[in-house]
Amino acid sequence: MAGFRLIDVVKPFLPLLPEVEIPYEKVPFDDKIVYTIIAALIYIFGQVPLAGVSKDESTVKDPIYFLRGVFAAEPKTLMEFGIFPLICSGLIMQLSAALRLIKVNFKLQHDRELFQSLTKMFALLQYFVLTNIFIVSGYYGENLTIVQIGLLNVQLVGAGLVAILLSEIIDKGFGFASGNMTIETVVIATNLVSDTLGIAQIKVDEEGNTEARGSLINLFQGLRSSNKTFLGGIISSFNRDYLPNLNTTFVVLAIGAAICYLQCLRVELPIRSTKARGLNNVYPIRLLHTGALPVVFGYVLLTIIHLIAFVLIQCIARNDPSSIICKIFGHYESVNNLLYAPTFPLSLLTPPRSFANGLLSQPLTFVVFSAFMLFNAIWFASKWQAISGSSARDLAVQFKEQGITLVGHREQSVARELGKVVPVASTTGAAILTVASVGGEFLGLKGKAAAMVIGVTSAFSLLEIISVDYQQSGGQSALAQVLGAPGRF
Amino acid sequence: MAKPVEKSENNQIDKLAEAPLEFVKEGSQFLNKCKKPDTKEYVKIVRAVGIGFVSVGVIGYAIKLIHIPIRYLIV
Repeated sequence: MAGFRLIDVVKPFLPLLPEVEIPYEKVPFDDKIVYTIIAALIYIFGQVPLAGVSKDESTVKDPIYFLRGVFAAEPKTLMEFGIFPLICSGLIMQLSAALRLIKVNFKLQHDRELFQSLTKMFALLQYFVLTNIFIVSGYYGENLTIVQIGLLNVQLVGAGLVAILLSEIIDKGFGFASGNMTIETVVIATNLVSDTLGIAQIKVDEEGNTEARGSLINLFQGLRSSNKTFLGGIISSFNRDYLPNLNTTFVVLAIGAAICYLQCLRVELPIRSTKARGLNNVYPIRLLHTGALPVVFGYVLLTIIHLIAFVLIQCIARNDPSSIICKIFGHYESVNNLLYAPTFPLSLLTPPRSFANGLLSQPLTFVVFSAFMLFNAIWFASKWQAISGSSARDLAVQFKEQGITLVGHREQSVARELGKVVPVASTTGAAILTVASVGGEFLGLKGKAAAMVIGVTSAFSLLEIISVDYQQSGGQSALAQVLGAPGRF
Repeated sequence: MAKPVEKSENNQIDKLAEAPLEFVKEGSQFLNKCKKPDTKEYVKIVRAVGIGFVSVGVIGYAIKLIHIPIRYLIV
């Protein structure tokens, strides 16, 4: 093929990039469960503190605190950037391949392999770039020695490579569904448990008083605590703002329940068999046809914008309010010595830290932030439903293979009929999910609302895939017998 | 009956303004057509997702607990 193709760039790196082999034979159900869980647990275990970070308190705080929940990132650990590079490179690559910005012939195996390696390379490159952005910004402390810089690079890029491989293990058929989705679900579930039932004691004031991380545990501790009154303990457990409180827990749980309801919404199209008479059934088209991906995409864009702003403001202008860059883009203000809250105009794309605070100090954010997220989600959903494997045309092909058709339509017009339903379902679902997550964010959940939306949606589809796989394997699972699970989920 | 001919410019602006309205209309039509789950089905699903979520979370948190002594050792 003549002409330059981006995917050929990776050719020289192919022997260097480690790759997971596709399993020789079908992996049994039990093994898949074990692979999936262990891969996700290794990821969680990777949240070990970084070595080589300067001991002195740095003035540069966390600029992307409200995005961490979505990408399973933990500040100042090996998983500093979580799986953001993976998701970002996966989405951007697939989108640009589908929009023909990069030329890939997915019918050729060689091209598919190259494309996969390119995605991996791009993710690895992002880990490297992000690491060095954060080093240069002074996030890990000013005046780092060469050794420290090298150490940080090795740790963060190495951890990134491990994360990529972990996700690939699941992707390549050793686990269920997509690796990113699994890792994200497990980490979000873990965070939810640790925010509610976490027993780790964290120092909250100068006198050395400690409070539990978990909101529920904190309530019980507050009732018996010696330095608080009975009523004060209860009130503070509901509205402390430095650690998870019961209010946020309830909001998060409510969002989870709402997403479960949305998952059940579907339009049932009547179908019939083309081969046998009288075999009528329904085919469900879900409201959440594209799942949580539109919300994820919105957050990917948001993160990219915030990272670029971070580079401009912190690395170039050194967060000096008098410099010209800061006058244009705003600067950072450190909050509680923990977070970096941007000022106007960057604050327009930053969810408020609490509802009241947002209403008083950044009222425009409510409009701009939701418009930004909604527009992205709807645009992405309308594009994605056409290019993913479940577009109207793909479904019509599936229908034909399985010998079914819509009642009252000829086989030829199935694609057109589905084409009326699928795009509407995807965009409407995307808009509703975005409203749910943005609404939660405005209550001051600092990324937990969006994380919960994504977590529950992924958990739901994961559960679905697992139960289908379980039924296909004929229920012959030693694990299920040990756990005493019935024949179906 | 002859249709009144509109100016094409006006038409386009109208279209742009109508796009969100159209979107909301189509969306709400779709929602009305949707089959809503009954209480029994909903409870079943919430329970399945809830059990899965919490059990995975507890396992994950158990791993995270190991970090606390490690942090003490390193930092």
